[in-house]
Order: sequence, then C-alpha cells, then structure tokens
Amino acid sequence: MQVLNISPGALPPECEALRTEVRAFIAEHLADYPVSKRVRNWSGGDPAFSRKMAEKGWIGMTWPKRFGGHERSPLERYVVLEELLAAGAPVGSHWVADRQSGPLLMRYAPDTLAPRIVPQIARGEAFFCIGMSEPDSGSDLASIRTKATRSDAGWLINGRKVWTSGAHRTHYMIALVRTGERSENRHAGMTQFLIDMKTPGMTIRPIISQLGEHDFNEVTFDDVLVPHENLIGTEGGGWKQVVSELAFERAGPERYLSSTQLLLEMLDVADPADPRHAVAMGRLVAQYGSLRQMSQGVQLMMAKGEDPALAASAVKDQGALVEQSIPDIAHELFGGTTAPDSPLAQAMDYLTLAVPSFSLRGGTREILRGIISKGLGLR
Amino acid sequence: MSNAMIEQSAERLFSANVGKPLLEAFEGGAFPDTLWRLATDSGFGMLLATEASGGIGETWSAAYPILRGIGYWQVPLPLAETMIGAQLLSMAGIEVPQGPIAIIEQGLDNSLAASGSGDGLRLAGSAPRVHWARHCRWAVVSLSAGGIALLDLHEAASVSMVQRVNRARIPADSLTLDAAPAVAHAADPLPGLARPVWTLGAVARSAMMVGALEWLLEQSVQYANDRVQFGKPIGKNQALQQQLALMAGDVAASRVAALVAAGDTPSSASLACQATHFSAAVAKIRCGEAATRGAAIAHQVHGAIGFTYEHMLNFGTRRLWAWREEFGTDAWWAERLGRAAIDDRAAGLWPGLTERRFASGLQMG
Repeated sequence: MQVLNISPGALPPECEALRTEVRAFIAEHLADYPVSKRVRNWSGGDPAFSRKMAEKGWIGMTWPKRFGGHERSPLERYVVLEELLAAGAPVGSHWVADRQSGPLLMRYAPDTLAPRIVPQIARGEAFFCIGMSEPDSGSDLASIRTKATRSDAGWLINGRKVWTSGAHRTHYMIALVRTGERSENRHAGMTQFLIDMKTPGMTIRPIISQLGEHDFNEVTFDDVLVPHENLIGTEGGGWKQVVSELAFERAGPERYLSSTQLLLEMLDVADPADPRHAVAMGRLVAQYGSLRQMSQGVQLMMAKGEDPALAASAVKDQGALVEQSIPDIAHELFGGTTAPDSPLAQAMDYLTLAVPSFSLRGGTREILRGIISKGLGLR
Repeated sequence: MSNAMIEQSAERLFSANVGKPLLEAFEGGAFPDTLWRLATDSGFGMLLATEASGGIGETWSAAYPILRGIGYWQVPLPLAETMIGAQLLSMAGIEVPQGPIAIIEQGLDNSLAASGSGDGLRLAGSAPRVHWARHCRWAVVSLSAGGIALLDLHEAASVSMVQRVNRARIPADSLTLDAAPAVAHAADPLPGLARPVWTLGAVARSAMMVGALEWLLEQSVQYANDRVQFGKPIGKNQALQQQLALMAGDVAASRVAALVAAGDTPSSASLACQATHFSAAVAKIRCGEAATRGAAIAHQVHGAIGFTYEHMLNFGTRRLWAWREEFGTDAWWAERLGRAAIDDRAAGLWPGLTERRFASGLQMG
C-alpha cells in the first residue's frame, strides 16, 4: 500500500534551534496560563497573544515577504505549531487565517485581495472564519444554497451559514456560495468570496455548544453586497479551491494534540507503581510517538514536493481516535475520585464534553474514511 | 549495499521462493534448507555483523526491508534471530559461527541463572520458548548482569529440548539447561543498551508485524473488490470500507513506528542508543495493537473462506498473533514506557516525545 507510506525523518538543525526559542517564549508568556484555558488548545484565542506571535514572525512564517511573510521553511512553521499546541497556547484567533485563508488568498487572488489583506494577517490584526456548512449542508457540502447574484455594484449574497466558528470575533469570512445552478457536475456553480464581517445585511446569532460556550454561530446574509473584486479565484471554481484548502488541514499537529492537557494532568497524578496507570499512559505515549512521527513525516514529504494526501487523511483519523480516547481513559483511571476544581477535574470536565466535535470538524470521520477507502482501491 | 538494493534483493528472493507449498511443508516439519541457503548467499544473516567478522556491517534501517519482508511473504526462516545473534557476537569480538543462531535474554521469559565466571560461566534453568532452537546449533544469551555468552545447544550432556511451536507453527522450543557451559563470553557488545536481545528482538518483530499487516491489508482490499454478494462487490458497503480505512490508519502508524525504531537501533555502523528503548517500546506497542485490530478486520472481511487452512489468510494472521507476544507484549512495553512517563511527570512528556527518550529511562526488568 504505497499510497499510505510516510517516510519518517529528522528535522533540519535550524528547526531544533527554533524549538528552544519557542519553549523560551512559552515559558515567558504562558507560565501562569491556567489549565482551564490551556484545554481549549487551538479553539482558544487571545488577540494579544496573536500579536505577540506576529512580532516574533510566527504568523505567515512561510509566506513571501511582499505579503508580510517571513519566508521561513514549512518545517520551521511545523515546529512552532507543535510546540505551541503541546503547551495549550491560545493560538485560535489567527489559526484559520494563518493555516488556510492567507494561503488561499495568495494562491487565488495574488494581485487583488492578497496584497491588501494578507499583510494584516501576518501582523496578527486580521482574523478569519470559514463559511461552508449550512442548515441542510454538512458533509454534503455540494448541496449548499446560499446564493450570490451579480449586480452592477457587486455580488448580492442571500442565505445562511451555520457552525461558523468565531464569526463574532473575526474580521473576515471566506464563504463558499452558489453562483450557478447544480448541474450534471454536482460540484459546479460554487464560488468563494471574501466578506468583511462589518458588511451591512449580515446577522450573527450565537449557537451555544454543549460546553455552554459561544464559539459557533449562525450567520444570515440578507442582500449582503460584496464588491466584484472580492470573488476569490474563478467563478464556479469554488469546489476545487475548497478541496485544495482542506488539504492544508489534515495532517497538522492540531490533529492529534487537542487533548494533550488532560494527558499532562493525568501524568501529574498517576501512580508509577500502579500497572493500570502505567500501561494506560504507556499506550498513550506510544500513540503520541507514532502520530508525531507521522505528522512530521507528512510535513517532510510535502517540503520535498511530494503529495502524501492519503497518508495525511490517515493521520487525521488516527489522531482523532487518540484525542477522543483520552477523556475515557481519564474516566477509567480517575473517574469519581478527582478533587473538585483540581486541574485534573477541570481538564476532564472540559475535554469530556469537547471531544465529540474532534471527529466532526473539518469533515466527519465517516467521510474521511470514505476518502481513505477509495484511495486504498476499494471501488 | 544501498538500502534500495537490499529491499529489491529481499523482494526478489522471497517473492520467488516462498509460497503455499513451501509454507505447508514447513508446517509439516520440513526446514526450508534451500531457502535458507539462498538467504545466506544473499548475506542476510550476516547483514548486521561487522565487516571484520565477515559480515556486511549494515544499519538496522538497511535491515528493515528484510525483516518487513519476513512478515509480508511469511518467510519461515530464523533470519531475525540470526541477524541479531551475529550482530551481537561480532560486536563482542566473538567469532560468528555458521548456520542459524537462536537468541535468549536471560531472565525475560525464562528462569535461566548464571553461575561461575570467566571460562567457567555456566547457565542453568528453563527457557520455555526459544524460537527456532531445534534448527540452531548455537544460542546467544544476553546476560542480566551484563555481557553475552555463546551456548552450544548440541551439548547433549547439559541441554535438553522439548519441541514446541508458536501459533504460526514456527518452532518455539522449550530448553532445559543443566549447568550448560558457555563456549565463549564477552562484555556488552552494545554498552548503554540494557537487555539488547529483548530490545533488538522487539524491533525486529515490529518490522515483521508491519510486513504481515501490509500483506493482510492488500489481501483484504483485493478480496473486498472481488467477492460479489447481493449483486455487487462487498467492498461497496460502507460498513466494510470504514473498517478497512481504520485498518489502513493502523498500518500507516505501525509502519512509521517500526521505521523510526529501526533508525534508533544501534549497529556496528551506528552506535547511538539513547532513543532505542523508547522507540522500540513505541513500535512494539503500536504494532501489537495494530496486529490485534488488523487481524480481526481482515478475518471479518474474508468471511468463512478466510477461516480455512486452505486459504492463505491464516498464515498472516497466525504470525501476528504469535509475534505480538514475542520479546514483550504491547502491555509489557506499555507498562515500562508508561512508568517512565509518569516518573518524568507532565513537564517531561513533550521533551520526552521530541527527544524520544524519557529522563527516567525504561526499567527493563
């Protein structure tokens, strides 16, 4: 199964030097950052922290200098991300913009939108949300109905997006909307737009999650007028663009590290003489060890110009399984015995409720496994 | 030899010479002498032995394709054991004998006790599962007090054997030693690596399990595409696709873990062993877990035909069920890896993962 092969390898020396620098940055800025916030991982944001990262040159690290980037290698970016995620740093404010919106704008709107918007992202001043899902379109993204109609003044957008993370605290949305009817080709007629969140006609309504928190939103578009130049890439080419955008997000370290803070709390209270504790922790360390090498191996292959797309999907599937197992392991070992308000109890409370979303976001486990099985050659 | 040449050489030799008739004859008790000679002629047994000893002096990364091939083609030869035995003997400065070599880690899965010292070193006790012992004149014993000893298993006065097999019907004979004399002994060939036979054995079994898992996955996908029920290939069913996709992720993870472990295992070409126990543990745990899940999924996909001796499937799955236990189960390694992680506490986890070693180290008792 060559398609699944990941070549593990070592990071170049400059990455290990950078690792030391990131650890010092974390020690300086996050020493007192409480576990109740660390557990949020990349769902947790702090604009001030994002600007500190921007000052270090750690947003838009790999981007060209003309777009405000720093022309570092993707492997250096990988090291910064894995160190910050392992520490539970609040990287959520700029996460989407750094991971996918900036690269998308540079690729598909290099002369129009990117010169104006991307430098703001690199400065930690422009945050993004993604408008894809709709009330009747989850996994079946091609069934979206939100519509853009061309007028002399620009495009008029009408419809509704849901599960839009951070819509209430971001500056821009990249929305996938319909500009033509569905045809024989069910992926035709969709187009991406850049939308300023302050545009009149947009209504943002919170959707409170089972954690009792406001991260998701429903965003309603009522004759929202978007300038012509905000059409990203080609009219009708949205599907292809979205697929390439999703490829940015399958094998990153965020795909297995989301429950790390609970693992850390367990390690602080576990009894080394109790074989149950030792075996459970050992199995988790083994999962982390192999996933880290897989994720890093995919990055190394991409840096060499290879396209390990199927292996990347396997990283996401395996990573979510590990992330979701951790609260259950904590329950097995420590359930019913934790001191109220202890760091372990806080991490268990948060992650027990949070983990179901880890195999939904960015595509459900079932859709992902469908992609993997096609890649294996199942017809 | 480049790694690619070794890989091609293993593929040519194994794919052309190992098949159903040979495996059935082997399970009937016939050692494949011709195959052994071909593998020996290719230099596989001496791949890790030093050049000074007449070996090739290669790394464990170079050995990986051969070990993986033993699993993929179900090669019924004591190659892993002989490679390890020859590596340790040659690095210890002991002349490497001809023929297959058995390996034993004193005190792990046996009750062997050493007495005497120097030329008077003797071993006594029982070792219930010594792989391939009946076909080996020589056994390398890694001593729990440090150092290695070479035993002559044909020393009839002090060595008795009861022939047994593991689940793959590969010899795993019970030895009883009655003050068996060491014909040679030497200090640790790999200073800094406790329990070398057990650790190298775990790395080898991990690579072998990856090979068997890769073969199982390919067979399962092929069968799912070929087998028609309700008017369509069974692979069209999402329920089955989900299972095979899960298995694919397990295989991908196991493969990476085994490759990293091979890269972190010392040889005469590369002595560093700071990460060896950590990476061997990760690999044996990860491959053992994948073996458990993967064998079950492969059988479920194959249905009743896969449960027959006639069908090849069981030659892969029985190896996985044997190898996941040998040189430490996944739970054995997990207990030690986990204890080191707990000893290092939260602050040690991430540095441990990035350096592939815990400050506390694995207690290999």
